Amino acid sequence: MKILVVDDTEAVLLLISRFVEALGHTAIQARDGAQAVALWRQAQPDLVLMDMMMPVMSGPEAAVAIKQEAGESWVPIVFVTGVGEENRLAEAIERGADDYISKPVNFRVLEAKLKAFNRTLELNRKVREQSIKLASYYDRAEEEKRVVQHLMDQMVNAERLYDPLLDYWLSPAESLSGDLIAAARTPGQVLYVMLADGIGHGLTAALNVLPLTQPFYSMTEKGYTLSDILVEMNNKVRQVLPVGRFVATVLIAIDEVAGCVEIWNGGMPTVQLLNRAGDVVTHWRSAHLPLGIVPTQSMETATERYYYSEPGTLVAYSDGLIEARAPDGEAFSEGRLLQLLHDTPGPDRLEHFKNTLADHLAGESHHDDISLVMIRFGERAALAAPQRNPHTDDVDIQALVGSGDSMWRYTLSLGAEELRYINTVPFMMTFVNEIKALVNSQSDVFLILTELFVNALDHGLLNMDSALKQGEQGMERYLLERASRLADLKQGVIEIDLAGLRINGRDVLRIRLKDTGAGFDYSRHTELVPGDMRSAHGRGILLVRSMCASLQFLGSGNEVVAHYIPAVNA
Amino acid sequence: MTPTVQVEGDAGRVILSGQFDFSAHREFRQVCESLIGNSAIKEVLVDFQNVNYLDSSALGMLLLLKEKIGAANKTLALVNCRDTVKQVLEIACFGKIFTIR
Repeated sequence: MKILVVDDTEAVLLLISRFVEALGHTAIQARDGAQAVALWRQAQPDLVLMDMMMPVMSGPEAAVAIKQEAGESWVPIVFVTGVGEENRLAEAIERGADDYISKPVNFRVLEAKLKAFNRTLELNRKVREQSIKLASYYDRAEEEKRVVQHLMDQMVNAERLYDPLLDYWLSPAESLSGDLIAAARTPGQVLYVMLADGIGHGLTAALNVLPLTQPFYSMTEKGYTLSDILVEMNNKVRQVLPVGRFVATVLIAIDEVAGCVEIWNGGMPTVQLLNRAGDVVTHWRSAHLPLGIVPTQSMETATERYYYSEPGTLVAYSDGLIEARAPDGEAFSEGRLLQLLHDTPGPDRLEHFKNTLADHLAGESHHDDISLVMIRFGERAALAAPQRNPHTDDVDIQALVGSGDSMWRYTLSLGAEELRYINTVPFMMTFVNEIKALVNSQSDVFLILTELFVNALDHGLLNMDSALKQGEQGMERYLLERASRLADLKQGVIEIDLAGLRINGRDVLRIRLKDTGAGFDYSRHTELVPGDMRSAHGRGILLVRSMCASLQFLGSGNEVVAHYIPAVNA
Repeated sequence: MTPTVQVEGDAGRVILSGQFDFSAHREFRQVCESLIGNSAIKEVLVDFQNVNYLDSSALGMLLLLKEKIGAANKTLALVNCRDTVKQVLEIACFGKIFTIR
């Protein structure tokens, strides 16, 4: 140790310095308190051995000054005291001095005390090092958290979540949430909502749910089905996360045109469907493993469908909500939630829920992330016949039909094998989304392509009868039959040809589809009653006709050509 | 919670108690590894008799255990699952990949 020895008596100063040096330490000498403070500042000794009574500045005064300057770092100060100095000594120790040794100094006692202080100093140094390390860990963790928070905010952009049908609430247990809510519309205006819950909470849970956002948003935008999105999300989760990490997920699609709700629940609490009065009409228990557990090929991606006949609300939540505990340990529970939703059917439902939950928690913090999603559906009056596309009026249809010059073409020909596993229209939307002239018309193009493609595949190649769709469970029956016929499809080709034309200074999209089926009697289809829009069959072609400048069936009805005038770029 | 182990013939039983969550991580892993390393044991039983709560990180631990037990050519069963435990396992549909008795 480097030891500062302070005494105004030369003989004592010399004696103690010798002692200190004999014990293997270095001695620095000062002759009064003021000198001691100056030397301490300059040489930063480990310990101070100081006389009490000295000229210029006394020992206790110097001790106070040194302690003050040393701040957080500990400098032991030991007074060397004579007889009769007990009172001042006590006072000095009270003001921060650490110990004393009596004159005449006993060599053995000094040695023992220095050893003791050396041990304490060592310990002190270790604690300080660790606390500095801890502080820097803390800073780093905070910085990491800040970056992840920013990343999450960007990927789970709340503005994106705005939808007139959607109410939601998310309260993380820590600064980062392991629950994730995402919502977006397909080009066909179907609302897709995802509620996901990663394992645990905080940073690692937040990282677990991150891989889901990108496939959800990009595939919804192109109009892929829930099953397609599930496959992609499961692939992503398995690719990115280690074994033992998984994400419970619920995917919901609300198609207000078809009056259909579609659900896939893997590991989330039961999803409830309430009618206007707030009674539970039906519910969907978790029927699948959460994402990330099984390889995608052995995953069940089939969704459950429900056709509603009256307006209602779909309610989904994470387990953190029903397990939120009051101070007495009582869980919030599903029963309480349903009762509350039943009692407040109005627009202040969410507000009422928040208040009730806060009362239940009574100031306790919840230990898991809490999220609640409510989607209202069926509130708009039965859909009117689609408006005729206003851009079509002043265009000469005959000029379109004759026109052969195209700026670009995109042609696709799919055989039976490919038709089985390629989701054709979303696939083509990836291209359509890139065409500048169609930038404001993606939704229209998606609808037209979907209807014409379904027509070619279902009726052209699969010979499906639309009458199957009628009645309760009709749609379900139809889809099952369709899936089985598609699986058995041995031959057949669908050709799709998109062309960008320029006629009289206007962009025109020509869509041509041809299938190798037998065709149909298209004269009947032009006579459909426009009031019949909600019935599940015939609606499609009529919809396309109203959106396009022209729609013509050719040949035996196995070929169709549509011309569509895109909305002019804003 | 401290898991205890009982060996009955070629079956090793891990008896859990209280809350089974991330705080049990270390002990659970150690106990299970000792059973996996024991070549006399063919079947590992995780006994939930005295468990009153398990969370999603506990499910993660079970998945990890399943992976390791599969690699060691042993079998795994979750036994005595009641009430809350059963509910949590049901919501996660773990019956599809675990033997639950």
